[in-house]
Amino acid sequence: MAEQIRIISKNFEVPNAETIDVFIERGGYEGLKKALRLTVEEVVEVVKASGLRGRGGAGFPTGVKWSFMPKEPKKPHYLCCNADEGEPGTFKDRKIIETDPHSLIEGIIIGAYAIRSKLAFVYVRGEFGLGYRRLSAALEEARARGFVGQNLDGTGHDIDIILYRGAGAYICGEETALMESLEGKRGYPRPKPPFPAGYGVYGCPTTVNNVETLCTVPHIIKHGADWYRSMGTKASPGTTLFGVSGHVNRPGLYELPLGTPLREIIYEHAGGVPGGRKIKGVIPGGSSTPILTAEMLDTPMDHDGLRTVSSLFGTGAIIVMDETTDIVAVTRRIAEFYHHESCGQCTPCREGSGWIPQILRRIEAGQGRMEDLDLLLSICANMEGRTICPFGDAAAWPIRYNISRFRADFEERIRRGSGLPDPGPVPGVLGGRRADLIPVQVSA
Amino acid sequence: MPKVTIDGKEITVNPGTTVIVAAKQLGITIPHYCWHEKLSIAGNCRMCLVEVVGQPKPLIACNTQATDGMVVKTTSEMAVQARQGVMEFLLVNHPLDCPICDQCGECKLQDYAFEHGQGYSRFIEEKVHKPKRVPVGPRVMLDAERCILCSRCIRFCDEITKTSELGFLQRGNHVEIGTSPGRQLDNNYSMNTIDLCPVGALTNRDYRFKSRVWEMAQTASICPGCSTGCNITVWHRHGQIMRLTPRINDTVNEHWMCDTGRLGYKYVHAATRLATPLVKSGAAQRPTAWRNALRQAAELLKGAKAAALAGLAGPFATNEELYLFRKLLTQVLGGKRLDCRPRDKGPESADGFLYKADKSPNYRGARELGCVAAGKEGWESILAGIEAGEISVLYVLHEDPVGEFGESDRIRAALGKLQGLLVQDILPTATTQLAHLVLAGSAFPERDGSFTNDGGRVQRLHRAFHPPGDARADWRILRDLAQQLGAEWAYDSPADIMQEIAVEVPAYVKAVYAELGSLGVALQA
Ligand SMILES: Cc1cc2nc3c(=O)[nH]c(=O)nc-3n(C[C@H](O)[C@H](O)[C@H](O)COP(=O)(O)O)c2cc1C
Ligand code: SF4
Ligand code: SF4
Repeated sequence: MAEQIRIISKNFEVPNAETIDVFIERGGYEGLKKALRLTVEEVVEVVKASGLRGRGGAGFPTGVKWSFMPKEPKKPHYLCCNADEGEPGTFKDRKIIETDPHSLIEGIIIGAYAIRSKLAFVYVRGEFGLGYRRLSAALEEARARGFVGQNLDGTGHDIDIILYRGAGAYICGEETALMESLEGKRGYPRPKPPFPAGYGVYGCPTTVNNVETLCTVPHIIKHGADWYRSMGTKASPGTTLFGVSGHVNRPGLYELPLGTPLREIIYEHAGGVPGGRKIKGVIPGGSSTPILTAEMLDTPMDHDGLRTVSSLFGTGAIIVMDETTDIVAVTRRIAEFYHHESCGQCTPCREGSGWIPQILRRIEAGQGRMEDLDLLLSICANMEGRTICPFGDAAAWPIRYNISRFRADFEERIRRGSGLPDPGPVPGVLGGRRADLIPVQVSA
Repeated sequence: MPKVTIDGKEITVNPGTTVIVAAKQLGITIPHYCWHEKLSIAGNCRMCLVEVVGQPKPLIACNTQATDGMVVKTTSEMAVQARQGVMEFLLVNHPLDCPICDQCGECKLQDYAFEHGQGYSRFIEEKVHKPKRVPVGPRVMLDAERCILCSRCIRFCDEITKTSELGFLQRGNHVEIGTSPGRQLDNNYSMNTIDLCPVGALTNRDYRFKSRVWEMAQTASICPGCSTGCNITVWHRHGQIMRLTPRINDTVNEHWMCDTGRLGYKYVHAATRLATPLVKSGAAQRPTAWRNALRQAAELLKGAKAAALAGLAGPFATNEELYLFRKLLTQVLGGKRLDCRPRDKGPESADGFLYKADKSPNYRGARELGCVAAGKEGWESILAGIEAGEISVLYVLHEDPVGEFGESDRIRAALGKLQGLLVQDILPTATTQLAHLVLAGSAFPERDGSFTNDGGRVQRLHRAFHPPGDARADWRILRDLAQQLGAEWAYDSPADIMQEIAVEVPAYVKAVYAELGSLGVALQA
């Protein structure tokens, strides 16, 4: 069994690591000191060469994203650290902010430097009370020591950080909704183009990076791109924090190289399934990523590996579901989450995300019709790729894949009905008619 | 310059042009709800999804720039399927009760459901219910269930009036539009949101449920409410105005009009409208027939020497009426004293947008057509002349000096001294009450003719319906009066009059009706 590697997580079990003295004693702010003495181009180059990919969900190469920023600023540039962590199953950023806030501050300053920004915002999820307090305290400490603010570490560079607390909307983790929210507006994703590197916060060039992404950067600066590439796979180098939850004996965060097989993560690191029960399905990267079946447990957990099983790496948030799991109920619950969180701006997502759980609740209650399954797939197809932001896809995929990969479970539930005597007409809900008697036409 | 192909037709467009605009230039309408040429791009309705060859997913035409070599298909399977999907989603939570909706017949949702819908519903669940009959403002009613959340109304208030009364509340399929607590949609352009609303969510509190759209006739006209001269459509039924809506004219009012103008038509149907000529008899005025009225009017005018005759024109008369009025007074009767005053309510009564300080529609026309006295010869001197007994007969056309010019006691006293006061108007006023003879004219929707707005644009009014009772078109009253006075005036219509104006008044050389079209023409410098 491969041991965990301790890079981003190296301070997780260290007492008082949130204080600057402990952080510095353990090598903190060395990456920052080094970076500020490199040119902007050199910093971008190292991160590009390291192959680091964003940990916010989309897995976009960080160095490449930075290189999209204008080379000669005409307007202020901004870095936004995305600390809104809302994807169900994901709890890595919270751990970083609460136990190792200085590592984030260090990463933010380097990231801001790399995109020629003098001001960075951290959009902190509203529910992160402790994290916000720790981050605020750390920011004051870092400012007092000259790592944030003016003339950083005596190099003449000025970069400041502003903390901003969200108000509890998942959609505000989407980068353009985040920017709107940061500007004090309703958290509505913006239509793209324009893209953030040209028109971001307050209409100025902006880069949005995830907490874990930024926390990784100081280590790459310190140890070099080759060192980073010595871990993980060619297309997905380095390590990441896998957050394992659900039916496992030792749920938690595990820092492992990308490409570690899912089976190893679940059985060796997370201690396997309680009671030795079989696995039914695994959500590999947060609730929006397509579910894997037990046959797919040998999938390497990296961007390419997951694509081979038509899923996505997402945020590395692994949700394990054993054989006792009611997939219909899981699907309904996920659908309800997306219904609750859709911003409601664009038609397919607003209406589709509301319609899907209605059907699923009906199926779960024993009022399903066989046609409902194809209807659900058709609704998903009408949402996917038709929306302003990727939320529409995120809301549709789990439904589509849960049905296509566990269709028998749904059919079983529909066939079994409510399991109770015929309920007769259901007033209101189905216009007084039995659901299974109402014909439905389904187009592909 | 990028050259794009849309549905097989090629067009070269300016860089930055979006696909929806390029298609429009080709005469292809890509279905849409949220996009509006005068508002920012929201991209939220997704109705304008089209296929762009080479792209795996459909793209929204409103936010996709046309690039060189781009091939767009608006009727391919991908595009049609995407539109159908959007239509289905829009109808999921929309009430399906068109027959009792006020928008029925002019609803984009209805139109596109007909064109792009499937004709059946796969939705059998309970719809989301939202508030109905919400008075979001004094003039606008909201039915939140009918709202498709296109944000046009919100963007209008953010971007055009910059008053930002409206916003979205809640999330997901519970989203509604609304105002913040304590606020109302009450700016003077609020009713434009009704026109912008593609569905029956925002309705006109003055008009809602008074008529079905298809029962009304539409007549192009000009708002008489101020000197801007917003282009409007008069929607009428059985000789009654049901509503006014703005008519697009980018050089004047774009797509908009103010609420004051939109609701300013009520006087047209006032029960007190003058429906026959009136002649003074003792202390009272009694109705008389036109033949008698015209004969008496002619006698009254002839009864004074030319020097004792004066005219006061109102800036509410059309160019054609003003021209005839001046011609009658100066050429037929040889009079010299004529004036017209603007209805200027001061700069604070203007809003810097469309609503101007001068609340009359044709003062500019009066000036151009010689009805405004030069220098000291104006109304003040006419009034002084009346007081001094030098002027004994006054002909007033669509004006109410007693009620509107201030110092009403003085004016009332002066007019009381006249031997002859002839007033042509549409409603009883403080001035008509003093008149020896009242001639019943026409209100704006009853008129054919033109106004010249403050920017020097000559614009056509069309007659929507006839004036009440025996009231007549003002140009005709003036012509008949001239004939009564012996002049050989052969005008058969306002078009004939404008034909003459175009010859006689150089600024109007291009203003013949054939040229005015629906958008008008500028005066020639
Ligand atoms: C609905 C939605 C929610 C998202 N939530 C988050 C989030 O909570 N945290 C995050 O870092 N990225 C989130 N993202 C991804 C961001 O849009 C963005 O891609 C990311 O922050 C970029 O950082 P990275 O390049 O470091 O991954 C979300 C995306 C979507 C579509
Ligand atoms: S896809 Fe959903 S979350 Fe994204 S903009 Fe549209 S409605 Fe909002
Ligand atoms: S009220 Fe009308 S204009 Fe406003 S968002 Fe709703 S549908 Fe659009």
